[in-house]
Amino acid sequence: MLLLDIKNLTIELNTPDGLIRAVDRVNLSLREGETRGLVGESGSGKSLVAKAIVGVLNKRWQISADRFNWRGQDILTLPYEQQRRVIGRDIAMIYQEPSRSLDPTAAILEQLEEAIPDHLLEGPWWKRSYLRRRKAIGLLHKVGIRDHQSVLQSYPYQLSEGVCQKIMIAMAIAKNPKLLIADEPTTALESTTQAQLFRLLASFNQLKGMSVLLISHELESIARYTQSLSVLYCGQLVEAGETAAIIKQPFHPYTHALIKSVPEFQPNLQPKTPLYALPGSIPVLQHLPIGCRLGPRCPNARKECVKTPTLERLQNHFYSCHFPLTGTKES
Amino acid sequence: MSMLLDVRHLSKSYRKSAGWFRYRHVHALDNISFSLQQGKTLAIVGETGSGKSTLAKLLVGIEKPDHGHILLDGTEVQLRHYRQYNHMVRFIFQDASKSLNPQQKIGQMLDDVLRFNTRMDSQQRMHKIHQTLKQLGLLNEHSDYYPHMFSGGQLQRVALARALILDPKLLILDEALTALDPSLRAQIVNLLLELQQKTGLAYLLITNHLRLVKHIADDLLVLHQGKALDYGNTAHVFKHAEHDYSRKLINSAIA
Repeated sequence: MLLLDIKNLTIELNTPDGLIRAVDRVNLSLREGETRGLVGESGSGKSLVAKAIVGVLNKRWQISADRFNWRGQDILTLPYEQQRRVIGRDIAMIYQEPSRSLDPTAAILEQLEEAIPDHLLEGPWWKRSYLRRRKAIGLLHKVGIRDHQSVLQSYPYQLSEGVCQKIMIAMAIAKNPKLLIADEPTTALESTTQAQLFRLLASFNQLKGMSVLLISHELESIARYTQSLSVLYCGQLVEAGETAAIIKQPFHPYTHALIKSVPEFQPNLQPKTPLYALPGSIPVLQHLPIGCRLGPRCPNARKECVKTPTLERLQNHFYSCHFPLTGTKES
Repeated sequence: MSMLLDVRHLSKSYRKSAGWFRYRHVHALDNISFSLQQGKTLAIVGETGSGKSTLAKLLVGIEKPDHGHILLDGTEVQLRHYRQYNHMVRFIFQDASKSLNPQQKIGQMLDDVLRFNTRMDSQQRMHKIHQTLKQLGLLNEHSDYYPHMFSGGQLQRVALARALILDPKLLILDEALTALDPSLRAQIVNLLLELQQKTGLAYLLITNHLRLVKHIADDLLVLHQGKALDYGNTAHVFKHAEHDYSRKLINSAIA
């Protein structure tokens, strides 16, 4: 069964100059136990999509969707209280800068205990606080922190960024969520810790069947740890499908450029040679081009590109481009 | 070919108080030596606390080394000759949007750099500014812009313009490429490589991004807790790293 099924998600911002469409009809679906990557540059709306799923966008943003199903239940139409209950039970999210999203005035133990819901503690009420502490220690062990004693007594500023992020993950998995959304979990971390964290997320995915939605702008790290991939550009979904298939044969010029700009995917590239790059930069929200938003930067844009392309499907591979790249044309 | 930058046995330690009258010495850098030729790129990698930033500070003269020498073009650098070697070594910070003054136009900012460091008259300064902007793919009109009017990639170009306007020989990039998006990063990398080929600029790249290092750096220095572990040709270090730590670092990036 599909865990999350979103069709034509549109997120708009009401400004004095009129309605700005930051996310334009994005489809996203997640099976149970799947890891999906969501790739896009900054300003492509990937964090907005994540926040819309968790329902934490503020009131200025207008969210509409044809379908927004969480385990077969449309959560956009639910009353607020019920919506919070469903999301709070099943979805957890970790944020970009862990040291900033933890409470600086409380010790880790306090914050971690707060994240453990009551119904997971089995025992009489007078043992509750003891059980809660045991559970907090257990969570730290699960995320690979052995020295729980000193970490639990510390405040966030005393710990390194990597340890903070592990604590965030511990808090997120405290309620055994069905889906974990990780919004750029590794940007603030060093490369050795990054690999550790990705392995940690992958192990939870395999051991507990927890689905993971991994959001990042680094294609190379995401490609290694996910099964399927969605690529966003400027609020539009440009390509979605199996990760391996997309890396091997991208259909959309943007995905193609993204893959070619990473030296790692180009084994034949000589050191110190220029990398492939699209001209220009991502347009600002106030001046979005009409039609396909890649249009002005696209190397093979033509007259038809002023119309927004529809999402085409080739087996399990979705793309939205009038002139998809195929194997013969590219070589 | 002569060495542009030659660093010999550089050490730096900080004093930290431990109790009322006692002090503890923290060795930020311990006996570091390396050299850099003109037109080459040296990458310095290491985790936080490995002394990367201290090294950068010593090289640009913000701090004074305890021991060791820094030789620039064969002459030893002294702090009081700051104004002289300021022309040769320029520094680019991590976040371009935070390192530019939001209340100052780009042209004004570049003009200040020239006014404080050279003896050009206003005509020459104007000419130089236009020339530099053009070199970096910006327009003349951009000198009337404020920093917030630029996009991320353009801001990085502006930061580069500020560094390059004095025609330096060495550019120190402190994590300057890490925060950029992949397609923008590719653009800036291309720009840097092009400048290096045209003008023989040398780069000192302080970064965490090993995949990029593999592509653009000639030499690699691995720092760990203030000590230099591996130093040599990038391809060589990537293949045969001597220390466990550097091997772990490299494996985590390319495995």
